[in-house]
Amino acid sequence: MSDPSSETTVGSIEVDGKNLNFTAGETILEVTRRHGAVSGEPCKIPTLCYDERLDPFGGCRMCVVELEGSHNPVASCARAAEDGMVIRSSTEAVEKHRKTLLEMVCSENRQVDVDPLSGYASQELKELADRYDARSGRFAGKKSGKSREDDPNPFILRDYDQCISCYRCVRVCAEQEGDYAISVKGRGFDTQITVEFDGHLKDSACTFCGQCVQTCPTGALADRKALRHTEVPGEIEKTRTICTYCGVGCSVDILTKGDSMVGVQPAMDGPANHGALCVKGQFAYDFVQHDERLKTPMIRGEDGELHPTSWDVALDKAAQGFLDARDKHGRHSVYAVASGRAPHEAGYTTQKFIRSGFWSNHIDNCSRA
Amino acid sequence: MPLPTDQDLVTDWKSRPAPLLPLLHAFNDRDGYLSDEALRAVSQGLRIPLADLFGTVTFYHHFSRFPPGTNAPRVCTGQVCRFAGGLELLETMRKDGATPMPCAGRCDEPVPVLTGRSVQVGVTVGEFESRPSPLPVANPGGLEECVFAAIRNPGNDTLEGYRRAGGYSGYEGALGSDPENLLTVITDSGLAGRGGAGFPTGVKWRAVREALNPRPGDDTRAGPKSVVCNADEGEPGCFKDRVLMDHDPHAVLEGMALAGYAAGAEIGFIYLRYEYPETADILDRAITEAENAGLLGENILGSGFSFRIHVRRGAGAYICGEEGSLLNSLEGKHPFPRERPPFPVTHGFENRPTVVNNVETLASAAAIARRGAEWYRGLGAGDLAGTKIISLSGDIMRPGNYEVPFGFPLQTLLNDWAGGPRPGRHIQAVTMAGISGGFLAKEDLDVTLDEPSVRSKGSMLGAGGIMVFDDSRDMLEVAHSCMEFFAHESCGKCFPCRIGTQRLTERLAGAAGPGVLAGWSDEVEDIGSVMKATSACGLGMAAPLITESLMRYFPEQVAAHVEATNS
Ligand SMILES: Cc1cc2nc3c(=O)[nH]c(=O)nc-3n(C[C@H](O)[C@H](O)[C@H](O)COP(=O)(O)O)c2cc1C
Ligand code: SF4
Ligand code: SF4
Ligand code: SF4
Ligand code: FES
Repeated sequence: MSDPSSETTVGSIEVDGKNLNFTAGETILEVTRRHGAVSGEPCKIPTLCYDERLDPFGGCRMCVVELEGSHNPVASCARAAEDGMVIRSSTEAVEKHRKTLLEMVCSENRQVDVDPLSGYASQELKELADRYDARSGRFAGKKSGKSREDDPNPFILRDYDQCISCYRCVRVCAEQEGDYAISVKGRGFDTQITVEFDGHLKDSACTFCGQCVQTCPTGALADRKALRHTEVPGEIEKTRTICTYCGVGCSVDILTKGDSMVGVQPAMDGPANHGALCVKGQFAYDFVQHDERLKTPMIRGEDGELHPTSWDVALDKAAQGFLDARDKHGRHSVYAVASGRAPHEAGYTTQKFIRSGFWSNHIDNCSRA
Repeated sequence: MPLPTDQDLVTDWKSRPAPLLPLLHAFNDRDGYLSDEALRAVSQGLRIPLADLFGTVTFYHHFSRFPPGTNAPRVCTGQVCRFAGGLELLETMRKDGATPMPCAGRCDEPVPVLTGRSVQVGVTVGEFESRPSPLPVANPGGLEECVFAAIRNPGNDTLEGYRRAGGYSGYEGALGSDPENLLTVITDSGLAGRGGAGFPTGVKWRAVREALNPRPGDDTRAGPKSVVCNADEGEPGCFKDRVLMDHDPHAVLEGMALAGYAAGAEIGFIYLRYEYPETADILDRAITEAENAGLLGENILGSGFSFRIHVRRGAGAYICGEEGSLLNSLEGKHPFPRERPPFPVTHGFENRPTVVNNVETLASAAAIARRGAEWYRGLGAGDLAGTKIISLSGDIMRPGNYEVPFGFPLQTLLNDWAGGPRPGRHIQAVTMAGISGGFLAKEDLDVTLDEPSVRSKGSMLGAGGIMVFDDSRDMLEVAHSCMEFFAHESCGKCFPCRIGTQRLTERLAGAAGPGVLAGWSDEVEDIGSVMKATSACGLGMAAPLITESLMRYFPEQVAAHVEATNS
């Protein structure tokens, strides 16, 4: 977030009596949130279809605010700030509309309370339903969405019974992942998130990056792998770290319950990834606590079997192997391919090891196309 | 001749403007439906992601993914046709694979049945025929008309016939002078949008003329701007644009070319509703005539002005009459409405400045360019400028299109011009703005036909469709069919409308909702108020006028309905 008093400011709007300056192209919601984050009085305008990484959409209408001179309230997520606008963000009328909207949304869903393991944003609807006391049972009627729990992929649960048609998933797939794997079928109350020809994700353009799961505000798209751990007792704890799979350096939050790792979520504020991950960073973490995971170095003995040993012994053995090869076949018998998963530092060390250790420049990197 | 291959079709359309809909129609015309292979070919040819294309195709209710597709009849079950035998007709035709369609814009001559590229009308199987759209009767009040002035002349739909009544003379005059003069005439005439919103046409054209090109770094005014003629006419009870295009197509083309000249646009589209297939042929023929006469094309009449018009057929979606949705549809995108602002005058077709005007607006502009601002203003009653076509249908002796001066009394139109209700009946209610204005009834039928008067009753005149329901009709049933239409046509973008139209339909059907009047009304009113205040487009804002006016005029019928639901 940039400094609100920066020189790119082009004007100011008044929100609930406070003058807030804005920069070119900022929406009312963005201005209000940015100032809220700085002032310690966070912006309270509720949103459901909004994801700050995506283009404004204006679907849920939860974010409507009163704008002086406008007959109807306006969607603050989609309306660009204009100098001199006077806005009231939470009048009684607007709050009533928000509650009605939430009661309507609750009425189309079979379930509002979902396990937080479902995904990063999965509690958004639940939290708003709590805040507005919207589980009133009003507006009963047909439920929307049809679950595709039959989709056989191991990663993503497609439980559209919980879908509220905010299309964040479709938009994140198009705008962030650039994959356009999913889309909106039909219209009105019958809209349904789908892939082409109503098929399965594995036959579509989906790369299983999981971004749709993490932006879904209801758990309709959910992390199937994390949900295996629903029954594990304990609170979910998040630990910020960097994904180890490649050199991009995506920030992730490791979810744990007690000593068990129960899932991975992308860090929305990760400087390298802004909430994006690939299938490996998102879903391929079972090795961490796998029974067969190597915990000590191993050396193959005379018997042909692997035997645990210490690092000193193992490193000496490896060094001796390199030296023997060089002595027997010459310095070019040793070359290195650095892993694409390795950060710069490790790549540098690898080439140094080969160049000054063996006087050879036979080095490469696995991600060379 | 062998049928064109997938590749032939793709190659044919790929480099033309706004190719998605016509390409899909080309596959549809060849196969009768859109197969998986067809969608794959289109996806590849136009570089549209397959999932996206699939989703978009399923949006339009006239695109079928399976045979018999367009070869199966579609029977109109709109608000007028359902009382004129449409429902029974549908049942008898079910064995031929018939399915219902919402109001198909032929309420003056029920019941239309659409099969492939042809519309037939009739009420009993075996008695169908294809007929030209009915012409308006001679003005019953003998009043001077604007858009209908020459429409009854034989041959008026040809270039020659149109010319005989002075057609294209306004355009020729305009081309010889500064566009500023034309803008002044249109602005001074007081002409405002006839598609529903009533925005001043001169102001719109000028805004496009003056709009800078929104492409970054490109600040010239020239840029490819466009004119879109909104001929989607999806509003139930509206069939005025059809009669204009069928019998006065050159007036529409002249209006578009004038808009192009005034606004500095080079390309024009007519976005035509799917249910008017014959009209597409009429327009195509008129365009060819105009091109051959040098009235459309490059460097028209040596003026340096170039303008071409393309007809694009919709595929069955009322929302595609909303201008943002229409533009997305033309561009081949998912046809959700766009957030406004920005408006089409700066960010229209392909994000370029675009005039979007209704058919009637453009036809009026052609007459105004010929006869002047003063003349047009003088046609309205009192201070009101100009005229409006009213499409009148339902329980009335002489349904049809009538051109009335703004400010004309509704009762005079109903009882004197159109012959009043059927013998022994009286008018229980009329709809306004098609159905988007809800109902007017009782003493409020004394309005005059102009926005200030109609809006003072909580309704609107809009596009000017009025359906009449006499005392033999169950208003709950009428209201339900109206709300069912809105639910069917809600695009699903915004929550208040997507859920609200569904919930209101259920409550009007007695299928869900509280069984006590107070609770029922409470829910219906809360849904209505959130829809009116927060919906993302006019559809969701207008739909609750149905329930609002129903509860206002017919509280006893509502009470009886809730009572019956309860038991
Ligand atoms: C749901 C909806 C449907 C509409 N359908 C039509 C239509 O079929 N034809 C039309 O001309 N305008 C329609 N409009 C109005 C257009 O958005 C737009 O205002 C109009 O085409 C502008 O032209 P005008 O200024 O000449 O009236 C519709 C609006 C809404 C909200
Ligand atoms: S997992 Fe990634 S690629 Fe697959 S649908 Fe979701 S966002 Fe798109
Ligand atoms: S699946 Fe989730 S993100 Fe996608 S539309 Fe439904 S609720 Fe929104
Ligand atoms: S009001 Fe209805 S039709 Fe308009 S954007 Fe919202 S859902 Fe779509
Ligand atoms: S957050 Fe603005 S409409 Fe959903």
